Amino acid sequence: MTTFLYLTRRVLQAIVVIFIVTIVVFCLLHALPGGPARGILGPQASAQQLAAFNHDQGLDKPLPLQYVYYLGRLVHGDLGTSYTLNEPVAQLIVQRLPKTLVLTVLSAIVGLLLAIPLGMWQAVRRNKPVDYVATTLSFIAYSTPVYFLGLILVLVFSQLLPLFPPQAPQGDTLGQVFATPQGLVLPVVAGAASMVAVFSRYMRAATLENLSEDYVRTARAGGSRARSLLWRHVFRNSLTSVVAMLGYYVPVVFGGSLVVEQLFNYPGMGLLFWSAAQSSDYPVLLGCVLVIALATVVGTLLADIVQRIIDPRVKEGRS
Amino acid sequence: MSAVLQPGQAPGTGASTETDPETAGVTGLRLAVRRFTRNRLAVIGLVVVVLFFLFCFVGPFLYSTDQTHTLLHQVNLAPSGSHLLGTDAVGHDELGRLMFGGKVSLLVGLAAGVLATVIGTLWGAAAGYAGGWVDATMMRVVDAGIAIPALFILLVISAISNPGVSGLIVIIGFVSWLVPSRLIRAETLTLKNRDYVLTLRAIGGGHTRAIGRHILPNSISTIVVAATFQVADAILLVAYVSYLGLGAQPPATDWGGMLSAGLTAAYSGRWWLILPPGLAIILVVCAFNAIGDGLRDAFDVRGRG
Amino acid sequence: MTNAERSAAAEPILELRDLGVTFTTETGEVPAVRGVTLQVRPGETLALVGESGSGKSTVALASIGLLPGNARATGGASVDGEDVVGATESDLARLRGSTVSMVFQEPATALDPLTRVGAQIAEVITNHRDVPAKEAAAAAVDLLRRVGIPDPERRASAFPFELSGGQRQRVVIAMAIANDPKVLIADEPTTALDVTVQAEILDLLRDLTVGSGTAVLLVTHNMGVVADFADRVAVMLKGEIVETGTVEDVLLRPTHDYTKRLLAAVPRLTVAEQGSERAGVQESPAPPEPVVDLRDVSVLFGRGSRAVRALDGVSLVVRPGETVGLVGESGSGKSTAARVALGLITPSEGAVHLFGADLHKTRRRDRRAMRSGIGVVLQDPVASLDARMTVAECIAEPLRVHRGRMSARERASRVGEILERVRLPRSFAQRAPRELSGGQRQRVSLARALVLDPRLLVADEPTSALDVSVQETVLEVITELQDELGFACLFVSHDLAVVQQFAERVVVMRLGRIEEQGSTRTTLMHPETDYTSRLLAAVPVADPVRQRQRRAQRLAAAAGGSDAVA
Repeated sequence: MTTFLYLTRRVLQAIVVIFIVTIVVFCLLHALPGGPARGILGPQASAQQLAAFNHDQGLDKPLPLQYVYYLGRLVHGDLGTSYTLNEPVAQLIVQRLPKTLVLTVLSAIVGLLLAIPLGMWQAVRRNKPVDYVATTLSFIAYSTPVYFLGLILVLVFSQLLPLFPPQAPQGDTLGQVFATPQGLVLPVVAGAASMVAVFSRYMRAATLENLSEDYVRTARAGGSRARSLLWRHVFRNSLTSVVAMLGYYVPVVFGGSLVVEQLFNYPGMGLLFWSAAQSSDYPVLLGCVLVIALATVVGTLLADIVQRIIDPRVKEGRS
Repeated sequence: MSAVLQPGQAPGTGASTETDPETAGVTGLRLAVRRFTRNRLAVIGLVVVVLFFLFCFVGPFLYSTDQTHTLLHQVNLAPSGSHLLGTDAVGHDELGRLMFGGKVSLLVGLAAGVLATVIGTLWGAAAGYAGGWVDATMMRVVDAGIAIPALFILLVISAISNPGVSGLIVIIGFVSWLVPSRLIRAETLTLKNRDYVLTLRAIGGGHTRAIGRHILPNSISTIVVAATFQVADAILLVAYVSYLGLGAQPPATDWGGMLSAGLTAAYSGRWWLILPPGLAIILVVCAFNAIGDGLRDAFDVRGRG
Repeated sequence: MTNAERSAAAEPILELRDLGVTFTTETGEVPAVRGVTLQVRPGETLALVGESGSGKSTVALASIGLLPGNARATGGASVDGEDVVGATESDLARLRGSTVSMVFQEPATALDPLTRVGAQIAEVITNHRDVPAKEAAAAAVDLLRRVGIPDPERRASAFPFELSGGQRQRVVIAMAIANDPKVLIADEPTTALDVTVQAEILDLLRDLTVGSGTAVLLVTHNMGVVADFADRVAVMLKGEIVETGTVEDVLLRPTHDYTKRLLAAVPRLTVAEQGSERAGVQESPAPPEPVVDLRDVSVLFGRGSRAVRALDGVSLVVRPGETVGLVGESGSGKSTAARVALGLITPSEGAVHLFGADLHKTRRRDRRAMRSGIGVVLQDPVASLDARMTVAECIAEPLRVHRGRMSARERASRVGEILERVRLPRSFAQRAPRELSGGQRQRVSLARALVLDPRLLVADEPTSALDVSVQETVLEVITELQDELGFACLFVSHDLAVVQQFAERVVVMRLGRIEEQGSTRTTLMHPETDYTSRLLAAVPVADPVRQRQRRAQRLAAAAGGSDAVA
């Protein structure tokens, strides 16, 4: 399969996935108490107002038809209007999304930079004390709820030892966020912890598997030494499977950002979502879900393409 | 660096294609038990899980406390001889509360983890066995499910309604079946092309027999391993759900609820309100993960996710 | 002076003294090799032969210090005077790839999938010589040319997946000879390859080593390969060497009982003496209605431009009681054809008739009944039995599918009966498949296939994963039962010698088409097509003297052929 065909197929798959996501969100919209009318008019609207709205908006029409209208609005970028902030949801998300991306991408980079060497090191030192210690630490990092970890981080590195501010940098633009970079340290660490745990395990397993492959024996038979084996051959081969997993980890990273942003009061999409949940601001909630799902699908697609660049072998699409 | 040159006892190395007579005569299960018991972390994990179940379900009979009424005469007490872990803002004994909340955390985690595995197994097995466009469609649904972070869905649901404990089990089960479904599908794809299944189909055996007698029994180890990890994740998810305000409602509670209730108290130095539930969550989730790791190695099952 | 005589004078370059290897496994210590002493001199090829579990591969790995982590070596092994047993990893790395190098069995996995082949060869060069990267890359291209890869400049930047199995093995060989080693260890170098490719690789190895003074330790189970390539032979049994001698002595005048038994079990390909005439074709007057009839069957895998035509207009019949051998190399479509006959693959075009009825036009219920007349034995003895069932449950499965009314007692007695038929004790019924050896498992598969008294047995490479002595027993059992029960047999195999012994008619397939078919006697003795001739000529026979003649004829024919083309 050529790269072009592969890409076309993956993009088509991604579109199907997004399509299914819109159905899920549409169903959620209709599962709201009072339906979308209540969602848009707000909790104070009277029954007459609701009925009038339903008629105007075609909400008394059959569901499939309504779904088509809903899709039509989505295509035009219309995600509805927040009724607490009185702004179009799309505009709110456009303001907040870059900040969330900064947080998640930084966490992911920090997490991977720690996890990959750690996993390889553990594989090389398999079943030695360091491996056990690192494994135990990964289990702990994985098992700690992010909000508990964040709390401990604030207590230790902000209250006990005043090294970092307990709050994330505030501000509307990325420039303002980056103006106080030390404020990003604790949120990024909190977001990266589970990433390190999960990916060091993957990397360890992948490295172990590759170390027992035949090609390692061939390279050794040719006189290659341990260091060159590990870096020239095993590292790259192990990385491909880790990159593939990365795609599936994107939603987990976004999920974590929800808690991290709330905890450190970081003005990203997670916090927007959080406050919307507190005030039952449904258009914002559903708009965010849709955008996050879109970001996840795009992230997975990117991970697949990166994997394809690293690994030249003809691969069937992950189906 | 020489350790890298000892890729360990990959089965069959050295003897390459030759059969290993040394493992003949030992049944698969016994071999798995032996491998498991040799994994120190896994054994510790098993002990921890058993101790926590005893603590939460037998503990209250030995250490009885009032967890329903507000006890104003003993609020916010520091740990002492009469209250080993102190008391919280409404006067509940923290040690007793740890048992009380643990019941919910463990039960919901266990039930939701098992539910997620069951749903995932059925979905994954059906997709893998059917193949073709049915498989493709079913897997796109899984992709879509994975694309929506569970926490977001949970928060939306919490904004809409407030489920009880059983509702919680169902919701967590229904947001976390995706990963096991992918695992089981992969397993089914391999198994349905095994020679013994092909042989059965060639002589006219039906799909029911192929699935019931061959594919499911042979995926048991994968399913058990997936379920163990799923329980760990579900317990963790319960903790998040309570933090989001969707968890057990007062006077009931769970470890996550205790932890989020104690968050503000922690800033004023009342560490006994957050450390015990926090550590309990970490310990139990770690323990289930260690067991899952041990089972995976013992059954020689591949990857997670 | 022959190679052997010339090298007998020289000092040994590879020397094993009382070598022992023990594996530490989950179930305790397993000695794999005991007291192995042997020498290989410069320019000499020593073949180490034996069946699975004999420890021959372990000896090869110990000689280059590549034993896995759970192995412990005792005694001595030295290459060019340097000790291998007990050497440090750094000393071994210095030796490996320069003084001693190795070619492995499985070309599919032997190369790093993500590194270009030129770079992998260059790495072996720079491991031992301080040359600039550019020079090493140029040397890699030269090596690719030496091992016969066409267009080496371009091929150097190919990834392993872009090469065929034979070409990959050539790349592995290029890596092995990159630094002109004094000792080359080849562990089953042609076992994973088709017979025509095997002949080419053996020719290549011979060209590269003969005359250059390289000593070769060849590990193989194939007596034909031994006859083709070796000067001396050492026979291994259960970790020990039981017989050593020149290739003529060991293969033609074996002294040890085990060697005699081993050689007796090797299926011999009978070939026509040159100049003999092709016998006239005699067709039986009124052929009975066939049990299987494939009519102009084509199979397409995949869709659109990526579709692969696995079968292309294949027609073949199997008549009651006869055995039809389906032979071909990998990718010939022989297994696909068998699966079409079994109804596991639905043909894209053409029709499949089973016992006189169109398989894909009969109603579901009748089709089920039709299928009770089929027995199946597949290749892999491990995968063909469900490890979670007992032997009795495996064998009884067809009874449960088609004889639902049968009582447990009747079933048990039928299972016992059929177990005895395949020469296994009734007590095996309660065993688990993993407790059985490969040959026993294949006989259990056979018992399952025959438990319903089928009219047709489809056997897809039923013995290719087995040792020759075990293969012989399994084939004997099938023949004996066929005489008693009279079922027809569609026998798929890559092994021409086995098919010649076993089948009355043969169908030769190539690239999804039928190349030729006819009675085994005429087709394999006097093939009509060029392809079948080449296939037959490539099979090495286990007689060094005759194999030498056959090789000369084959090479002459190939040279003549290319002249004709040119």
